[in-house]
Amino acid sequence: MALLLRTFTRQGTCLFRPQFGILCRHAVPMGTTANEEMNTFWAKNNKLNRPMSPHLTIYKWSMPMMMSITHRGTGVGLSGGISAFALLALVLPGNYPYYLDLIHSLSVGPALLSLAKFGIAFPVSYHTLNGIRHLFWDSGKGFKIPEVYRSGYVVIVLSILTSIAAIAYM
Amino acid sequence: MDEHALFYRSSLLSRTLVAQQKDQDCPYPLTARIHGSSSLYAGSVSKAASLHWTGERVVSVLLLAMGPAAYYFPGPAVDYSLAAALTLHGHWGIGQVLTDYVHGEPKIKMVNAGLFLLSTVTFAGLCYFNYNDVGICKAVALLWSK
Repeated sequence: MALLLRTFTRQGTCLFRPQFGILCRHAVPMGTTANEEMNTFWAKNNKLNRPMSPHLTIYKWSMPMMMSITHRGTGVGLSGGISAFALLALVLPGNYPYYLDLIHSLSVGPALLSLAKFGIAFPVSYHTLNGIRHLFWDSGKGFKIPEVYRSGYVVIVLSILTSIAAIAYM
Repeated sequence: MDEHALFYRSSLLSRTLVAQQKDQDCPYPLTARIHGSSSLYAGSVSKAASLHWTGERVVSVLLLAMGPAAYYFPGPAVDYSLAAALTLHGHWGIGQVLTDYVHGEPKIKMVNAGLFLLSTVTFAGLCYFNYNDVGICKAVALLWSK
């Protein structure tokens, strides 16, 4: 009998329908969401002052790992840059061409100018190209490990090339 | 042993039932709930998270399309679309970062409120720039001209 009940329970069949109320009248399934469970985990471990297990410091860094955090880093950086630009637009007197001329009048020299342009172009192109790579993953494609590495190298090379092209030809 | 006792023992083994409650109607096992709306399942799980995910991808693709649009058709239409798409994409992106690294209900609420404020100001600033200044497309063009 127990074996029978165990089989039914695991498959999640109609054992729990009202007509079987005599068997399950006093039982209720787990009602916690993933969010609640996460919060419970963190609350408990913080309260007990538990240290976190080493992870980033001990695990061997791989190319996909580095590309992933770079994607996040460029994203946060670009977003911060846009927010800073928007804030300055609201706060500073004078208009954009005025400040652009101000920066140009500093005459920083072509090398530094190209470096600055690369500093803007590379995050944009890397984040965009790796973003496309992410969208491919979202459609279910390209998860085999060799594919992950191959697409990763393509993104890196194309990012550098498009950044250089943006500086040289625009 | 009677049937009730047998049932409770097997229920402990199955680990799908945690609480005891009187007059519970239709308590379906967690496995059925995880697999979403099957024919056995009469309740509903919020689709908010799933729709949010889809929304994120849609905005990403739209933002991607705005690159060539800004290059070939610069002007106020693209300027304001870019302001909206950039702000929303950034808002949701930073939101994911915060979800990953910030834990604990009060802290989560606080940082998300701060993010909402930042995104609002960002969008306002970009729209202000589009209206009162040269606009995003022209700004990029000017920046690169030197």
